[in-house]
Amino acid sequence: MDMFSNLALGFGVALSFQNLALCFVGCLVGTLIGVLPGVGPIATISILLPITFGLDPTGALIMLAGIYYGAQYGGSTTAILVNIPGEATAVVTTLDGHQMAKQGRAGIALGTAAIGSFVAGCFATVVIAALGAPLTKMALLFGPAEYFSLMVMGLCFAVVLARGSILKAFCMIMLGLLLSTVGTDLETGQERLTFGIPALADGIDFSVLAMGIFGFAEVLRNLEAPEARDVVRAKIGRLLPGWSDIKQSVMPCLRGTFIGGTLGILPGNGAVLGPFASYTVEKKIAKDPSRFGKGAIEGVAGPESANNAGAQTAFIPLLTLGIPPNAVMALMVGAMTIHGIIPGPQVMTRNPELFWGMIASMWIGNLMLLIINLPLVGLWVKLLQVPYRLMFPAILIFCCIGIYSVNNQPLDVAFTAMFGLFGYLLIKLGFEPAPLLLGFVLGKLMEEKLRQALIISRGSFVTFLERPISAGLLLVAVAVLVIALLPSMSKKRDEVFTE
Amino acid sequence: MKKTVFGIAAALSLALAGTAVAQGYPNKPVTMIVPFAAGGPTDIIARIVGDHMSKTLGQQIVIENVAGAGGTTGITRAMTAAPDGYTIAMGHLGTFSAAPATYPGLKYDPLNGIQPIGLAGGTPILIVARKNLEANDLKSFVAAIKATPDKFNEAHAGLGSVSWTTCTLLKGQLGVPKLNAVAYRGTGPALNDLVSGQIDFMCDQIVSVAEQIKAGTIKAFAVASVQRSPALPDVPTTTEAGLPEYQIEAWNGIAGPKGMPKEAVDKLVDALNKALNDEATKKRLLDLGAVIPTAADRTPDGFGAVIKRDAAKLDPALKNAPR
Amino acid sequence: MSLNKIERSQGLRIRSTQDLGAGVFMIVLAGLALVLARDLPLGSLRQIGPGMLPTSFAVFCGILGLFLVITSLRFDGEQLSGWSWRGVIFVLGAAIVFGLTIRGFSIGPISVPSLGLLVSGPLVMLISGLAADDMKWKELIIFSVAMSTACILLFKYALSLPIPLAPWLLGI
Repeated sequence: MDMFSNLALGFGVALSFQNLALCFVGCLVGTLIGVLPGVGPIATISILLPITFGLDPTGALIMLAGIYYGAQYGGSTTAILVNIPGEATAVVTTLDGHQMAKQGRAGIALGTAAIGSFVAGCFATVVIAALGAPLTKMALLFGPAEYFSLMVMGLCFAVVLARGSILKAFCMIMLGLLLSTVGTDLETGQERLTFGIPALADGIDFSVLAMGIFGFAEVLRNLEAPEARDVVRAKIGRLLPGWSDIKQSVMPCLRGTFIGGTLGILPGNGAVLGPFASYTVEKKIAKDPSRFGKGAIEGVAGPESANNAGAQTAFIPLLTLGIPPNAVMALMVGAMTIHGIIPGPQVMTRNPELFWGMIASMWIGNLMLLIINLPLVGLWVKLLQVPYRLMFPAILIFCCIGIYSVNNQPLDVAFTAMFGLFGYLLIKLGFEPAPLLLGFVLGKLMEEKLRQALIISRGSFVTFLERPISAGLLLVAVAVLVIALLPSMSKKRDEVFTE
Repeated sequence: MKKTVFGIAAALSLALAGTAVAQGYPNKPVTMIVPFAAGGPTDIIARIVGDHMSKTLGQQIVIENVAGAGGTTGITRAMTAAPDGYTIAMGHLGTFSAAPATYPGLKYDPLNGIQPIGLAGGTPILIVARKNLEANDLKSFVAAIKATPDKFNEAHAGLGSVSWTTCTLLKGQLGVPKLNAVAYRGTGPALNDLVSGQIDFMCDQIVSVAEQIKAGTIKAFAVASVQRSPALPDVPTTTEAGLPEYQIEAWNGIAGPKGMPKEAVDKLVDALNKALNDEATKKRLLDLGAVIPTAADRTPDGFGAVIKRDAAKLDPALKNAPR
Repeated sequence: MSLNKIERSQGLRIRSTQDLGAGVFMIVLAGLALVLARDLPLGSLRQIGPGMLPTSFAVFCGILGLFLVITSLRFDGEQLSGWSWRGVIFVLGAAIVFGLTIRGFSIGPISVPSLGLLVSGPLVMLISGLAADDMKWKELIIFSVAMSTACILLFKYALSLPIPLAPWLLGI
């Protein structure tokens, strides 16, 4: 088997003392920065990219990959502990993860996330090693039309995320879509809904929006209800997941790995849908869906596994096609380029030690994450015991520095505060912010792909139905919507009537 | 108003850091604004060149990525900063030559209102197409486009991007300004759809497409420079391929706000030249497929002339581009 | 259950101020977006213009808002709860102060030089700290200074981010 000799080569490279150390340092630094509220993987990597410039290419990429996993996991940690997602994929984790933390089960949530990520990472590594090259074709099957249909399907998942009223979830998705159109039009350069403010010319930054409606609004909500925020430190249960927790998470974790891994291969930003899709599936097949949103462990295990699997398979288009599928991978290209390796379809044959070394280091990186993070769980949980009157100013300064550093734009911080007010208003009006964020993330891509597809088809909508993959995705979208709507509609009526 | 603020700040820092001032320029880190996200082509060139310039200046050049509005946000910040030599920017063809025609409300005047320092690197532009397009050379491609413009789809990375700017110039020269243009968010996704054959052609920098051409996943018609690129010796120049008027290069250059002290300009020019003469730095740039600028272009006057030359070249095509 | 049904038949009245507020909120936002997007060309199917999607999303938002209003008149639901200005003013105010002072600003006659992290950091923590009803001055001041120092060491020195430290004092 070619794969084994290749993997042996890879492990030979990755297991050198220097590369092991770099992988470890990358994971550690990535976790520490990623755990800062508001600083997600993209921000973390762009912040830390310069520190890898002095290394040899393989070492630099191994370290960057470590930073990436670390940041990803660090982002989930903040999502669970303080309900602030650092990136789109961590939004789902806030739903049940933070609820678990509020119930004193923060340690279990963190442990489940770490173990789930590790399992997903192991599987994804094998998939990349074994099927990386053939799977590449899948990325090339997706044109603008397929992409648009995929986004539509993603939006239908968002409906299932809703904890309360379906109507309000629709409102939030639509509002997210509307917010995503703010900024300069890609084709004509016209400014849209910007109030003429130059800082809005490039649209609303994800971290600004997420930090505002999740982070700041959450602080405001907690300040209002002293009893609620004290629940977190009132009772701390066991630190790590027990046997029954693990048994409950195994299947969600495997399903999440499959879903996230598959979506991660797609170009564009397929990986972003993974956690949402996984959550949808778990909530739909659960015996008691009402537990979701109230601290269901499957709602952490599934999406976290999907997240990590997708984070890894997202490397496939980069490594085999030389085309970055998302912003994080674009940074990886930058990192490779600055070391004189220009990514392309031939990286695998021309730099085999780099290619396979990176794949091997993915597995090692996941192992390191587990080693670093399981002991840290206790520390994170202890942090929750800091009195809230001190915790929120600390969260705030990290948020401010984090947001400022993403674009070095002071105005971004002020915008975040405005979105904080917006988020507080949403809470008061009984809206959930998660569907809004999904609508926002998918909206940009959706519009872009819709317009591309229609230009290519010369204005014919039939293109979405003619192409088999696109038609299939739309069919799934309709099915998801129907499954989601039917029971919730009747449930809504029940809720209303039994009140 | 801003000037007085900086005046007070400068006076304060002068008073408090009196000892350091005596050493002359530069006595503190110099901020080089890169108007794009970290990891992009401009950022990479800025970091490679800035790295060596720091050694000559004896002070760190801090790269600050201020992305937005096709790079004009970051350049605006640099050009409206205090002209003390401590804030400079690495811009490119788009932010200096194309911006006046692309962005009507531009807050700086790249032709007369900035202090050019020097060209730092150039990357040739290639006309590339999907691998199964019927045309196999530039001549037949141009003929086919002129005959049946509606059959073609061009990809670009958004209004104001290098690919948009250079392809708009090409379409203007070919007399098909209204050719179907498909906008992508960045060259990565555009390239993906070119490889998979969803779109027909695009113009892009050599560093983004060279590996795909070598691997045969897309084909190149011509490179829009005077000489063939050593990275792709088989690709003819536009002159060789029969479209000599299409000459454009995506260069990167350093500039600062107008009114910088002469000492600062001189030291920055000197540091830039030393960096571009350094063998290791040169090799890193050449590995990217970049062209090292001539000695004449590495001066304020030379760079200023390049900005004006390309602005004049791009202006008609960009102004007539469909919006 | 039957009580509710009886109530429903008794004509329209506001049964959920929260849903009503939410509906009005959506309608107002939709209206705002429609006004802002009024000059953007809609384009055609073949070449969708910049105004097409913002306008359609805004219309959908408005329709959904209308549904919410109707719901609020037909079904009982949550009522609007109180609004706490203390948090809004101090927490969001602190963030705005950070944004304004980190690189300096000038609006009309008011101008503040770039204060840098050395000043803006403690400022954010002190101002936001006031939002807590169990705030203790001494504790907050000590904590602010300690956290700001840690942030400076971490972001400015360990990670060398290009964030201003104290341009008025140190020139960086």
